[in-house]
Amino acid sequence: MKRAHFSVAAVLAAFCASYGCTSQPEAAKEINLFAWSEYVPQGVIDGFTKETGITVNYEPYASNEEMLAKLFSGAQKYDLIQPSDYTIEALIKEQRLQLVNWDRVPNFKNIGKEFKNLPHDPKQQYSVPWMAGSVGIVVNTEKVTDPIKGYNDVFQDKYKGRIVVLDDSREIVSWSLAALGKGPNDVTAQALEQVKPILARWLPLVKVYDSDSPKTALLNGDVDLGVVWSGEAARLYAENPKFEYVLPAEGAHQFLDSLAIPIDAPNPLGAMAFMNYVTRPEVSKLISADFPYTNPNLEARKLLSPEELANPASYPPGNPKLEGFRDIGDAAVAIDKLVTDLKAKD
Amino acid sequence: MRQDLTSFDGGTPVRRRRPSVAAWLLIAPLLAWVLAFVVAPTLIMLVYSFCERGTLGGVIYRFTWDNYAAVADPTYLNIMVRSVLFSLLTTVACLVMGYPVAFYIGRAPEARRNRLLMLVMVPFWTSFLIRTYAWVTILKSEGLLNSVLLQVGMIARPFEMLYTPGAVIVGLVYTFLPFMILPIYTSVEKLDNALVEAAFDLGAGPLRAFSKVIVPMTSPGIAAGILLVFVPALGLYAVNDILGGGRVDMIGNIIENQFKGSARNWPFGAALGMTLVVAFAAALWYSGRRQSHTT
Amino acid sequence: MKRVNTMLAAWTAATMVFLYLPIAILIGFSFNTSRLNIVWQGFTFDWYAAIWRDAVLVKSLENSLYIASITTALSVVLGTAGAWLLYRYRFPGARLWQTLIFVPMLVPEVIMGVSLLIFFVVVRLELGFTSIIISHVTFCFPFVLVAVQARLAGLDPALEEAAMDLGATPSGAFRRVLVPYLMPAIVAGALMSFTLSLDELIVTYFTASAGTRTLPLEIFGRVKKGLDPTLNAISTVFIVFTAVLVVTTEFLKRRNAAPSSERPGA
Repeated sequence: MKRAHFSVAAVLAAFCASYGCTSQPEAAKEINLFAWSEYVPQGVIDGFTKETGITVNYEPYASNEEMLAKLFSGAQKYDLIQPSDYTIEALIKEQRLQLVNWDRVPNFKNIGKEFKNLPHDPKQQYSVPWMAGSVGIVVNTEKVTDPIKGYNDVFQDKYKGRIVVLDDSREIVSWSLAALGKGPNDVTAQALEQVKPILARWLPLVKVYDSDSPKTALLNGDVDLGVVWSGEAARLYAENPKFEYVLPAEGAHQFLDSLAIPIDAPNPLGAMAFMNYVTRPEVSKLISADFPYTNPNLEARKLLSPEELANPASYPPGNPKLEGFRDIGDAAVAIDKLVTDLKAKD
Repeated sequence: MRQDLTSFDGGTPVRRRRPSVAAWLLIAPLLAWVLAFVVAPTLIMLVYSFCERGTLGGVIYRFTWDNYAAVADPTYLNIMVRSVLFSLLTTVACLVMGYPVAFYIGRAPEARRNRLLMLVMVPFWTSFLIRTYAWVTILKSEGLLNSVLLQVGMIARPFEMLYTPGAVIVGLVYTFLPFMILPIYTSVEKLDNALVEAAFDLGAGPLRAFSKVIVPMTSPGIAAGILLVFVPALGLYAVNDILGGGRVDMIGNIIENQFKGSARNWPFGAALGMTLVVAFAAALWYSGRRQSHTT
Repeated sequence: MKRVNTMLAAWTAATMVFLYLPIAILIGFSFNTSRLNIVWQGFTFDWYAAIWRDAVLVKSLENSLYIASITTALSVVLGTAGAWLLYRYRFPGARLWQTLIFVPMLVPEVIMGVSLLIFFVVVRLELGFTSIIISHVTFCFPFVLVAVQARLAGLDPALEEAAMDLGATPSGAFRRVLVPYLMPAIVAGALMSFTLSLDELIVTYFTASAGTRTLPLEIFGRVKKGLDPTLNAISTVFIVFTAVLVVTTEFLKRRNAAPSSERPGA
């Protein structure tokens, strides 16, 4: 067994040498993938293992914070994590990620320019974009006949008790900031004071807070419109085109989830091999098929079906440029308290 | 003072012996377990509750009272009171609904008893999430219950049941009912049949027979059921999220938010948790003290 | 008495309807053609076929059953022994221990999960089946303990003394007199323990590793994508399997058993 490992390592070292990469010996033939629960189709994992022989130990999580909790506890060492943009920013600041060797991820060229060098990873050194999306308004046009163009159209008294929103205090505050004409990252104490009256007016109109599956309430007909993830809206549209997706006129924001390699990853080379695998157009297409967010891989987009590309929630017409979330540090606490207080006033 | 009607001599209190070496050896694993897996983690949380918040979650080891000061905020105290009320309501509902069932099962012939017990438990070997989402299907405006009520003509328009506090209570009662039925069943099962028959035959109506004789005899089971429902119900937030629309926060939601939500405020979550534990432990200790006075 | 019994039977039946209503929906939807577990569209067996292709899901069920079984066994031992010893002997600080034992029931699962995670890191226990089982036992055994304690309350001490007088050793008295007496409580505790462990989500998240995914974790992971009916199908299969198991066991018991212990006068 040991001899086999040795010869494999020798072959790889030779391979590496001839392609000019670092001559680290290939670690154990497995990688620990820590990713969002809905983002990695089993087919992609199986395909990767079949091709490279590297086993993928896949552990899902349902929020950035859950991921950070387990990552920092040190209980497990992960090779790949899949943080959102603002979390990557914080991780880079805390020096928790390692640099990606782009020579090992040549398929990175398939990623669209508009998804590279964004503020959270300005020199594109640490992350490979996985899926992008936006947060916007979804409307059941059978029940709501008035035109809905922005947040102020949604949060009207006539829709009281018919609205679903994400159960995320930072998101909610960002919408009210947009209504004030501010960017989603302008979270000074002053700005928060200014959004309080707006939220005090909006929140009593909400029927359901749901970040996990807001489509449920919409499909059930218990609510008629809401502010949700674009992936949820895309699912709804695919189910029934009566669900329209609208990017709010006051200002929407996008999110970008990317693969990154923690600083203490046991098998960074395996991780980069995985990164290279998923940026292949035909593999990326599988990911899109599984969950209809915005695929940043332009080559993959060419392989998508016309229905997928026509879905306005996945690929908003006009390809608008949207701002992303930045790391806001301690302001998160103030935001959470703000929303909790207002919700409790019911 | 708890009346002990099962022993005819009027209730000889248990004469506890001083533990022998063997007894110490036997209880040692339990004590070790509690020390390692209850006390140690709780101490970790206690330490965290006095620490400062780390930017990416986690803590910075610098002492501060801030977290407990934040707990004292009226918003959170209100939420805690509300959670206690919900738990109380759930417990009472479980008691009312579950006691007759436990009584029936406890007095059934042995073969049927076990079958009934299994019948009670089997629904809870399915996934909590799917079960609770099934309640969404039942309670939604276009759902089962509304359809039936509309068809039968009891209501003219769909009744709004989902995403209300009522729906949350239904979900909580559903989740905890077996944990009320089972402990009460263990008390009912050992009731002396002759005594039960006598209670009913001696002229008193069934209600008095129950309240004056049977319920007191099964009080240990009732107390156990109350404990096993009220306490866990305090911390459960998932039912509130799914059936209540997440509109009204329970203390469980707040704490979850500190660890798994965008707040990333572990020390505050720890402080909230510690407050709950201490409050409850104090209540338990105090009630235990009052009972031991009578032994 | 007869009239009361009929009313009780009716109440129990009504409660059973309450308990099984969501289950009926769950089973019904396992035949639903719509992938999203929300509205009915048509009939199909596809999801049952899908189970066999979903190796991850089946493995997670296996893991859950394995964990739940061991957890129940350990919880019953710890809970019963603890309840009996605390009842029989006057241990110093007993009330303190009693309160401490209840803490895991009370502490919100998130806190328990995080603190156990950190504890395991500190003592360098690798995450996996052991860590999960330890966590589950920690909050399951109090349920057994409480159930057994309730049964012990009001125990006629004459019972145990009589057993001792009749020549049995203390351990024999325990085994042959006490354990049968406690059996309903032990069974109740075991049922509660098994149920809790089988469905545990949050603490398990923090103490599991990639190779030890449980069914609830797997199901929760699929919420965002939509709880597809494969999950309903596997739950239905499990219920049917359990029902068959119970009926078979009862049938075998009835064939082999001595006349069951009927209550005098029942």
